Formats: sequence, structure tokens, C-alpha cells
Amino acid sequence: MEKSKIKIDIKNCLACGGCISVCLQDAIYMISSKANLDDKKCIRCGICIKTCPIGAIQESK
Amino acid sequence: MEYDAIVVGGGPAGSVTARFAAESGAKVIILERRSEIGIPVLCGEGISQRIDNWGMLEGKRWIASKMDGAKIFSPDGTMVTLSKEMAGNETGYVVYRDIFDQELARRAAKAGADIILNTEVTELIKKNGKITGIKAREFDEKFEINANIIAGADGVESKIGKWAGINTTLKTNDLETCAQYTLTNVDYNSDYCEFYIGKKISPGGYIWIFPKGENTFNVGIGVLASLSDSRLPLKLLNKFINDNPILKKGEPIRFLAGAVPVSKPIETVKDNLLLVGDAARHADPITGGGLTTSLEGGKIAGETIGKSVEKQSFDKETLSSYETRWKEAFGTKLIRDYIVKEIMLDFDDKTLNMLADSLKDYKFEEFSTLSLVKALVIKHPTLLMKLTPLLKLTDKSLKKA
Ligand SMILES: Cc1cc2nc3c(=O)[nH]c(=O)nc-3n(C[C@H](O)[C@H](O)[C@H](O)COP(=O)(O)OP(=O)(O)OC[C@H]3O[C@@H](n4cnc5c(N)ncnc54)[C@H](O)[C@@H]3O)c2cc1C
Repeated sequence: MEKSKIKIDIKNCLACGGCISVCLQDAIYMISSKANLDDKKCIRCGICIKTCPIGAIQESK
Repeated sequence: MEYDAIVVGGGPAGSVTARFAAESGAKVIILERRSEIGIPVLCGEGISQRIDNWGMLEGKRWIASKMDGAKIFSPDGTMVTLSKEMAGNETGYVVYRDIFDQELARRAAKAGADIILNTEVTELIKKNGKITGIKAREFDEKFEINANIIAGADGVESKIGKWAGINTTLKTNDLETCAQYTLTNVDYNSDYCEFYIGKKISPGGYIWIFPKGENTFNVGIGVLASLSDSRLPLKLLNKFINDNPILKKGEPIRFLAGAVPVSKPIETVKDNLLLVGDAARHADPITGGGLTTSLEGGKIAGETIGKSVEKQSFDKETLSSYETRWKEAFGTKLIRDYIVKEIMLDFDDKTLNMLADSLKDYKFEEFSTLSLVKALVIKHPTLLMKLTPLLKLTDKSLKKA
């Protein structure tokens, strides 16, 4: 079964950069103080989801 | 545009690097993507009073309060105190991080550094394998700047290092994921910085309460990312505040999310590029404090850049004196504290209570994590056996206990 896509809810992101520092694929970039995920690079490992202190990163259903 | 050196990031490490590079004659520019230096504040705002000796900050506007010491609470509430009376009077400050960062930037500007805001560095320019500059974007405008040296002072994200080929990716057990409130109207009088530890309170990290004066406190949490889960820091911090009748009545005037590296130090020089501050993983692995090392490391980086501009030599050999010097200044401490962090992670709440109980009346030599670690080794030599050689404790000091 294909893993579901990961989505960063940019309206909740507070730009701490934690997800960027642990991303194995260098798939997350800060743009205008919001973390943005490059879905083409993302391997859906989910590390960023667990790292977000405020829960702004989720699997998209 | 041409510069001797480009500093990416206008945090404490970047500003201090730029200042000392400019003071030693280099033409330098700071590129910062934020629209105001120091804002948003992502910090507990505690710093050792050792900075008084370094002459890097003028005046007192950046000081919110002077702390009288630290109190550490184990899971069952046993308190260990490091007070200024015991510690030769030198403790620390709680600062206004926004004013603190702006003061450091002001000193960089005064020394001749240029600063551009709203500017995100997006790429390194490489020619024949050599880094010759950066690509950046200021609002919608893209431009390039050439320089002989690049300093990555870009904080926890540390993309500049990554693009240069340094492995800056953090493992989840080397990152604290944080949430923090500034609470006001808190009916509490304390000049102590308080730390609360325990697996239930904050797995692999701690909750802090730092006094800022005027019934205002910086209250935050760091959870080790490998033990965390989506939103867990926020949930645990909210619970801690709601369970505390005094904090609960306070009102928030600031909320933030944050991330601090708590890893071993990494390679910090690659050809004509160097890393400084959080980007270099210079924050302390036990406390997550990174301000003092950003200042110390920034000064060494700036002086090294100055020397290499003077000699017009921009290779790894010239810049590596930066790495040698920061290792001398605080490299051993970072490695030692990393090992302590790993040992502490194995302790369950019962052990933490036992350790706190054994230190509750201890008279510490000084206000530092080292004196705390020393005390633990002296009291529990077998439990902390791995640490004894690192501390270079003499038989004499062990017997004295
Ligand atoms: C919640 C929390 C609490 C903390 N509490 C304390 C404490 O009490 N005491 C202490 O000593 N330390 C504390 N720290 C650690 C401390 O904040 C850091 O060690 C310190 O900020 C490191 O400074 P720096 O200059 O290396 O990085 P930063 O202050 O993070 O500055 C990096 C700068 O680079 C900019 N930047 C990043 N990428 C780019 C790019 N591509 N282009 C342009 N600009 C870029 C960023 O916008 C930022 O301004 C805490 C950290 C957190 C998150």
C-alpha cells in the first residue's frame, strides 16, 4: 500500500526549523517564514511529523 | 556585488562573526531572511554571566533580570540548588533576546559590516568545485554575491553546511523540540532559574521557568525529538502550566516553537566555508544553551576570516585555525556534555530522584553544568564511571568528598 503524503499546515507553522534539521532528504525549505515540503523529494518517513512541537505536520488523508 | 566574506544569518553567531571580521579589516555582509533581527524570539533567554568578561555587549538594555542561581527539581520534587553564594557570585542573566541580538548586530554594523534583511540565501555558487558566492532572494528579486569566504551562521537548519557537503542533518536523538510561553501577571517572586526534569514531565529534556522581572517569566519545554510525538511538547507544557496553580493564573504575552541541536560537534570547515553557532552544532548537549558558544565561536570565526583576508589566503588550511581554536575553547566541554546527556537518558525517574536527594544539600563550587556533573561523579562514582576520566578528577578531589 502506498504511504500517504505528508502535509505541512503553513497557517500553523511557527518557523522553528526543527523539521528541516532532521529531514534526511533535504526536502523541506523555509519560504516566507513557513516550512514548505517538496513532495518530489519526500520519502514519507514521517520523522518531521514527530518532530513538530505544535503538530503542524500531518499525514494527508 | 563583491565581498571578502558573506555571513548567512543575523543571529548572535552571525553578528559576532561579522563584527570581528570587519574589525580585522574584512569587507563583510550579513544576509538575514527575517524582517527584523532577533524577532521572533526563539529562546529561554538564560545566559551565563561569563559574558561580562568578553566586552561584546554594551549597556544594560538587553538584561531583563540577574539570576541568583538555579534550582533543579527531580520528578518527586526534590530540589537541588546552585546559588550565587556557593558559586563565587557568578551566575547569569535572563535577557531580552530581541534586544540582545539587535545589540550584537549594532556592534557588527559599527565595525563596518553591511546588513541586508528579507534576504534568503537559496544556493551556493560553485565554480570548478570551489565555492565563489551565494544566490539569494530579497522579496521577489533574485541576485548573486561573490565572496572569498562564506560563513554559515544559519542556525539549527544548517542548510549552508549541507550544500557545501558537510553532513549537518540531525538524528532525532540529537534535537530538542521546544515550545515556550512568556507569561505575565504571575504571582510569584523568584530570582532563580528553575528546571524540572523527569520522563513524564519532559522525555529527554526539561521544563524551565526563567524570571524576567515584573512578574513575567519565560516558561518553556524541550523534548528530545526521538522521544517526542506530534505536538507533544505543547501538550506537556500546557499540562505543566495548568497543574501549577500560580502559573495557571498567568497570561501569555508570547508563544513560540523552537528547535535546538544537542548533538556532538561536527566538521566546521570545508574549503573556504565555515560554520558557526547552532549551524556548527555548538549548543550544549545537556542544557541546549547555545548563546555563549555562539559568541565565543563567532569571535574566533571573525578573527580567522580577518587573518585570511589579510594574507589573501582562502583555503581550508587557513580557515582550519578556526576549528582548532574553538575546539580548544569549548570542544572538550561539548563532547563531555554529550556523553553526560547519553548517560542521563538511561536514568529512570527513580534514579533521578535518588541522585537529586544525594545532592540536595551539596555546596557546588561554581555555577556550571561541570560542577553539577563533578558532584554527581563524586557521589556516585560507579553509576557515572564512564565520566570519571573525562573530568580528569584527581584522587585528591575524590577523597575530599
Ligand atoms: C526554545 C529555545 C530555548 C532556548 N533557550 C536558550 C537559553 O536559555 N540559553 C541559551 O544560551 N540558548 C538557548 N537556546 C539556544 C539559542 O537560541 C541558540 O543557540 C542561538 O540562537 C544560536 O545562535 P545562532 O546565531 O547560531 O542561530 P540563530 O539565532 O538561530 O540565528 C540564525 C539566523 O539565520 C537566519 N537564516 C537561516 N537560514 C537562512 C538563509 N538561508 N538565508 C538567510 N538567513 C537565514 C535565521 O533567520 C536566523 O536569524 C534556546 C533555543 C530554543 C529554540
